[in-house]
Amino acid sequence: MNGSRAVTALMVVCLVLCSVEVRAQRRGGGQPAGPPATPRAAAPIDLTGQWVAIISEDWRWRMITPPKGDIVSIPLNLQGQQVAEGWDPAKDEAAGEQCKAYGAPGLMRGPIRMRISWADDSTLKVETDYGMQTRLLPFASSAATPAPARSWQGTTAAQWIIRGGGRGSQRYGSLKTITTNLRPGYLRKNGVPYSDRAVFTEFWDVHTLPNGDRYLVNTNVVEDPVYLQLPFETAIHYRLERDTSKWDPTPCDARF
Amino acid sequence: MNAKLLRTYVLLGVTLFTSGSAFAQVELSGSYSIRMYEDYIERGPGSFLGDYTGMPLSDEGRAKALLYMSNLPSTIERQCLAQSPWVGQYRPLALRIWSEVDDGRVIAWVLAGDYLRDTIRIWMDGRPHPSPNAWHPPSGFSTGHWEGDTLVVRTTHVKTAWIRRGVGIPGSDRSEFSVLITRHENLLTITTIQEDPIYLTEPHVVSRVWEFDPNGSQGGNNRSTCNVGNELPTLEDTGKVPHYLPGQNPEEDYMVRNYNVPKEAALGNAYTLYPEYRKTLRGRYTPPTSCDRYCCGWIERQGLPGAAPGLTCNDGNLPRALRDALTNQK
Repeated sequence: MNGSRAVTALMVVCLVLCSVEVRAQRRGGGQPAGPPATPRAAAPIDLTGQWVAIISEDWRWRMITPPKGDIVSIPLNLQGQQVAEGWDPAKDEAAGEQCKAYGAPGLMRGPIRMRISWADDSTLKVETDYGMQTRLLPFASSAATPAPARSWQGTTAAQWIIRGGGRGSQRYGSLKTITTNLRPGYLRKNGVPYSDRAVFTEFWDVHTLPNGDRYLVNTNVVEDPVYLQLPFETAIHYRLERDTSKWDPTPCDARF
Repeated sequence: MNAKLLRTYVLLGVTLFTSGSAFAQVELSGSYSIRMYEDYIERGPGSFLGDYTGMPLSDEGRAKALLYMSNLPSTIERQCLAQSPWVGQYRPLALRIWSEVDDGRVIAWVLAGDYLRDTIRIWMDGRPHPSPNAWHPPSGFSTGHWEGDTLVVRTTHVKTAWIRRGVGIPGSDRSEFSVLITRHENLLTITTIQEDPIYLTEPHVVSRVWEFDPNGSQGGNNRSTCNVGNELPTLEDTGKVPHYLPGQNPEEDYMVRNYNVPKEAALGNAYTLYPEYRKTLRGRYTPPTSCDRYCCGWIERQGLPGAAPGLTCNDGNLPRALRDALTNQK
């Protein structure tokens, strides 16, 4: 190896090492190796804040209660249709089940404002004024815990899907959540059902436009072997509100 | 060290520091099947005249929409107005996406599909948008860049169009779109945020889902052209423009009459899109007593091939006698 080639090789090695070091520093490196970053510290996107649903799609089915038997758009099977046609809000009220349309798969497509915050370093919390519901989105834990009782919001496992961040580039990503252990509820206020075997998968993406507007897009799938023939796949969008004054908690209502 | 060697080091360093962004993207190429689980009636059989729910229309937009008559699109000059960039958000549109490559580098993503006036070519090579005075091509002009797994697109230079299906809601040629194309596993989400200083009072946001379909059509179902021809002999060479005069559209109250939807919501005011509006409806809105039309319309026709087995609800397409006969057979 002549002198010039040796210098070149040395420079290449230096550049690579320097690059790695800078990347490490940008990711909070340079400190002694410790426990892995908490989900909160590792978050590639910021979901926190108050988000308002923009009801620009399916207005007649999301903003107001449609008539009984209106199951348009939803891939129900015959059993699902029969349950929907038997919808009786008075019966739900008498059973104390006026929140059946406020379970996670129905809640997210409702006319909601939601506040997302960190409950702790590994759990996101989603609160809605519509129905005054709280969803907890804990990141996967290796610890085996007994399944809690079924609930409107079910049991959720969350994980970050992280892209970029290598070689000094910006980190991006999204949140994926899978919710099970749901109490049977409604996909739509007029009694379109999902069963306790439903699995609700969501991908949460945040986008900031050049004018500063921030949108949250929730791409989601409801799979239900009892009442659906096919996965029910939709995307729902929300806009971040800097003015939080329109937060207006209201209890569940089986009719309106 | 000579200048050539120095240049090599600088380029190498820049590459090492910046090339990470190349990893933050996904492969979009392929065919995607539509999932019409939102706004099915508009995307399937077609909207009801006078249904502008969910739209943030300006007074000008509303007034223009109310002039619309259903045979207006049959005039030669207007047959392509229903087909504009991103109108696939409101149509039963399958998509095919591919990349155009120059010397190994993606310089454009291309979206094609039925109901588009032209393929949408999203330039990825950093070229600027043309002058505001430049020609507006059928596809508009789009540029894009990656933010993680999302292809972020800006579309300008569109033509005047009808932006929703079959009801005459207009979009001006000053509309601009921010578009977010994200793929999660097999799901493709396209979110369009349209700004129109003429016909909208705030950005109109729509998000739709497609599913990757390796068996999707690669042929005629993905044509991106607008073919014109005489559709109504009575209009041919007459110069007539079908329309309602202001205040004379008989369907202006259709949603009020048939669905009890308050008129201000039916006619597309921005404030009716937000949760606080719903609270003003308590005591003012009661659901119709029954669903009489397009009640299970995610299928084409119940009881016929391709339909969901067993469903007996009213999809609005079958004559009642035939529907009853099919129901009784079950």
